[in-house]
Amino acid sequence: MTKTLAAFQDAFAAALTERSAAPIAAWLPEGEADPAGLAVYRNTIAKGCVDALAANFPTVASLVGDDWFRAAAVLFAAEHPPASAALLAYGEAFPDWLAAFPPAADLPYLPAMAWMDRRWTTALFAQEAEPLTAEAFALEPQALAAARPRLHPSLTFAWFDSGLPSLWRAAREPEPGEMELSEPAQGVLIVRPHDTVHSRVLDLAGHAFLTAAADGATLGEAITAAGEADPAADLAALFAALIADGVFSGLDLGDTP
Amino acid sequence: MPPTAGLGLKSQHYAEALAASDAGLWFEVHPENYMAAGGPRLRWLQAIRDKHPLSLHGVGLSLAADADPDPAHLAALKALTDRFEPFVVSEHLAWSTHRGVHQPDLLPFPRTAAALDRVAANIGRTQDALKRTILVENPSLYLPLTGHELDETDFLIALTRRTGCDLLVDVNNVFVSASNLGYTAETYLDALPAEAIGEIHLAGHALDGGADEGGSALLIDTHGAPVAEPVWALYRRLIDRVGPRPTLIERDDAIPAFAVLMAERDRAHGMLTGTRACACPQPLSAAGPRP
Repeated sequence: MTKTLAAFQDAFAAALTERSAAPIAAWLPEGEADPAGLAVYRNTIAKGCVDALAANFPTVASLVGDDWFRAAAVLFAAEHPPASAALLAYGEAFPDWLAAFPPAADLPYLPAMAWMDRRWTTALFAQEAEPLTAEAFALEPQALAAARPRLHPSLTFAWFDSGLPSLWRAAREPEPGEMELSEPAQGVLIVRPHDTVHSRVLDLAGHAFLTAAADGATLGEAITAAGEADPAADLAALFAALIADGVFSGLDLGDTP
Repeated sequence: MPPTAGLGLKSQHYAEALAASDAGLWFEVHPENYMAAGGPRLRWLQAIRDKHPLSLHGVGLSLAADADPDPAHLAALKALTDRFEPFVVSEHLAWSTHRGVHQPDLLPFPRTAAALDRVAANIGRTQDALKRTILVENPSLYLPLTGHELDETDFLIALTRRTGCDLLVDVNNVFVSASNLGYTAETYLDALPAEAIGEIHLAGHALDGGADEGGSALLIDTHGAPVAEPVWALYRRLIDRVGPRPTLIERDDAIPAFAVLMAERDRAHGMLTGTRACACPQPLSAAGPRP
């Protein structure tokens, strides 16, 4: 066998995953079949992965408790090790992995909590953009309806069949109270217009508006979509709330007729 | 950059770091924690950089992997060095990424002549990409590997000669490795040429409680405790020989109040400013742009 650097690194990686020094035996002295040092590296790597996941998924960690979270995170890291040294982006696969993780079967809300944590972290590190204020929308009604909004690069929104967004938001409170999953279907909006990530529950009309806007609709088309989703919605209030949320980062004015 | 003492910057201390006005105070961060498109973390770093010198201390470039440095990682590092203009950029004599998997640790390797070629080439690629020289840090070691063709000090010195890089001497890592692998820390430190030393790190370690192993007697480079007295003594000995160098107090776990870390930093600072003037002409000449 050629003892190249790559051969050593292949062997060392195998020794880490197999929890055995056997793969690196060719690089160990006689009588050192099970050196304690290998466990030091293994433990440091596991701690690095688990700490990164705990930082990126704080709601999941607080809901399941530290022991459960760390045990699950070690298993996840073994199956999905980081691909990059920038661990602030680690854990993209964690929500889906939790959904298929047998011990989480009696915690059906957990993957959605992880998904919203993930979107919160993504928003925190997203590209900067100055959100538009109400003045940017002070246009003639026709011009306003024909303008196409650009959504903030940190914005995420989604619809859920139950009150998972309310549960997630309550769980992120510093002192979470009694939490119950009793709300009807609702959406969530997560955005970081300036320094702080902001989230709120989104209603059907708000979700329809953002879905249309994300598809490239004009403001007029997006408002129409919101009204169709919920004929009782207060569309002016809905629009004003989205501006206040900071979800718009630009406005492409259509050709004046 | 005068040889003063700095502190590893932790996010929980941003406001205090920004407000601090201690003479000679500088900060160091892991660039990997700032490899993001935007966000408040980068804004904090910018504000602190506007007031204090900054060092970027990489933990993820994987210089000792048998592969070229990841172009995306290098590009992200270049973007940070362009934006924050650190007075020094450093990395480790270790590997962490191999075949697309990143292990968040600084892993060992047999120091062969072939490995020297590979690490030198990777340092060269890094310095070419960043358009500046870097410092390379000695790792803490836990495994008695065989197959070494060079001592670590000889390996590091060869790297400085072949690439123009300088050395970041982590005195705690020397202490930990010497204890774990059975050599003498003083002999190791004495072998390093003064003119190649651009920065010094000090950190705390712990005796392995051995959660898995029932106690291994290994020292672990935890960065989770104050700097130990024997490490301070080695530091004293080192700066008495080589003269003052920018010195960092590192703390990454069990992080205490800012003032507690600043007290350790002040101890190093006092030792530096009480040390005779540096014997070498340009202690940090290598940290500037390359010709």
